[in-house]
Amino acid sequence: MKKLRVTVEGKAYEVTVEILDQGPEGAPFNPQGVASAPAPAAPIVSAPIASASVSAPVSAAPAAAAAPAGPGSVVSQLAGKIVAINVKEGDAVKEGDVLLSVEAMKMNTYINAPRAGKVKKVNVAMGDAVNEGQSLIELE
Amino acid sequence: MPISAAVVDKLRKKRDVAINGGGKDKLEERRKKGLMTARDRLDNLYDANTFQERGLYAEHNCTNFGMMGKSLPADGVVTGTGYVAGVPVAAFSQDFTVAGGSLGNIHAKKIVNLMDYALKAGLPIVGFMDSGGARIQEGVESLSGYGQVFFHNVLASGVVPQIAVIAGPCAGGAAYSPALTDFQIMIKKQANMFICGPDVIKAATGQTCTMEEVGSAAAHATISGNIHFVAENDTHAIQIVKQLLSYLPSNNLVDPPHKLPPTLSLTKHKSMEALVPEDPKAPLDMAAVIGKLFDANTFLEVQRDFAKNIIVGFARLKGMVVAIIANQPMVKAGTLDIDASDKAARFIRFANCFNIPIITLVDVPGFLPGLAQERGGIIRHGAKMLFAYSAATVPKITMILRKAYGGAYLAMCSKDLGADYVLAWPTAEIAVMGAEGAVKVLYRKEIAAAADPKAKEAELIADYRDKFASPYQAASKAMIDDIIEPADTRAALAMTLRNLLSKRETRPPKKHGNIPL
Repeated sequence: MKKLRVTVEGKAYEVTVEILDQGPEGAPFNPQGVASAPAPAAPIVSAPIASASVSAPVSAAPAAAAAPAGPGSVVSQLAGKIVAINVKEGDAVKEGDVLLSVEAMKMNTYINAPRAGKVKKVNVAMGDAVNEGQSLIELE
Repeated sequence: MPISAAVVDKLRKKRDVAINGGGKDKLEERRKKGLMTARDRLDNLYDANTFQERGLYAEHNCTNFGMMGKSLPADGVVTGTGYVAGVPVAAFSQDFTVAGGSLGNIHAKKIVNLMDYALKAGLPIVGFMDSGGARIQEGVESLSGYGQVFFHNVLASGVVPQIAVIAGPCAGGAAYSPALTDFQIMIKKQANMFICGPDVIKAATGQTCTMEEVGSAAAHATISGNIHFVAENDTHAIQIVKQLLSYLPSNNLVDPPHKLPPTLSLTKHKSMEALVPEDPKAPLDMAAVIGKLFDANTFLEVQRDFAKNIIVGFARLKGMVVAIIANQPMVKAGTLDIDASDKAARFIRFANCFNIPIITLVDVPGFLPGLAQERGGIIRHGAKMLFAYSAATVPKITMILRKAYGGAYLAMCSKDLGADYVLAWPTAEIAVMGAEGAVKVLYRKEIAAAADPKAKEAELIADYRDKFASPYQAASKAMIDDIIEPADTRAALAMTLRNLLSKRETRPPKKHGNIPL
């Protein structure tokens, strides 16, 4: 909690402010005793990339025996076993939805929807072994 | 008698012509297209009125192909020094309006002179690349110019930080100067970088491809791994440069700009607990952990779109500058593969060059299995991580969150590779291999002989996991220094780092080690 004095059109108001979004908990350290550290600017980050033609590796892994990856394909990041299928054909999905889960390396790797869309086809069944780059789901 | 007005006037006129590069109309045309000019870029980089130019009156000395008497102001590159947030920085900026920013003998000499100066003074070097390539009229002199720039990039490597902004075309040999610097920022729309473009590839091999696939910022950021940041435009690129510089020392002889508060507050932050999934198979989101662990809004992720199974970047921890290397279990289960090893190793080497403490956050189930990995040389690529960590003498703190298995555990800055302090959460699993695999090897006969092999195997797995998939065995052998609650992580790391800032470690002198490349 912080006490601030705000002057509006010549009239002073005393207000108490609670800082809710400060990243890690605990009051930020404040060596100069300044009322409030200057709000950190939005962090500078690398620009987003939206480019279909480079979204798949150029020298793609030798096409899996199963469904070849096409433009609407959601592919497996790594080789493993399908342990969860959360969608069925015809389902509408949002970007980031967890579509399936692949078990490999003592871990479940969630396969998220790369974009919003409708599930056209589910190429795999529970327990199937899949390869890296194999198409698991087709989005319309 | 005071100085003659005519003399001063002559200087001013010459300066005016040189400063306008390829001419006012060409400069305006660029601005209309939304592109900065070479000088706009430096004006935006430097604090107001701090730019000191060198070599403004330089001119080419080429007499071939009708070049005699033709003026190329400043020979197509603006060089000088100035202040960025109060800190001196050397920079050069190629001027596309002057002979397409082409690199000739004097152009190269100006860049090399600046680099020599920056090396002597210990100043970071920023370069804006915007050039059609070699100035063909100058023949081998232009080629030699590139060679000299490369050589100076290498002389400066590890002495002063070098940052390259790919702000326009950067083709053929020209691409190797940025490649020799520490960080490359590429602007989305206007920049391309390649050794052989689509036309040459087509002519030489018959393969058809697009510029987008070969030389775009997206291709380099995601697949080739050649660049570190993608910028929307000139302004954004310069913001990234400034943000990067804010973490870096001017040279290898000084510390990075830590902002040490006089006291440390060691509050718990309980919210960290929510980030640790109960199920050991459910992936933890390392990006969220990093967001909570370090000072708010200070994390600058490097190579965000390349090898996403490992996260690297700079941040501040209670004001101290740190380099973070962290597995990301949300991608490829957080395994180490060829690209992840290359990405991490290079970042570790940078941090060590410039005295930046390294914090390693471990949640790694192993190296990624697969034919492509083995044939691609995961042995020599993975070895880079072992080499880089072992060779680093900066403070090295390792925090094991969950999985730490086998060779990948060692590769993530284990105690054995010289970590100064190793912490673990109670959820840590430090073992030579996973329980399922280990039990199959250890008890093959017992399982086969059991009345119910499946049940026997499950029992043995549970037993193994209980004994070995925890931090306690490693702690009992003094391979880790402390086991802490997740809520105490920020405080523990900050305390440790504060007393490690004075670390000194010397190694036997040698020319350099032989990192597996």
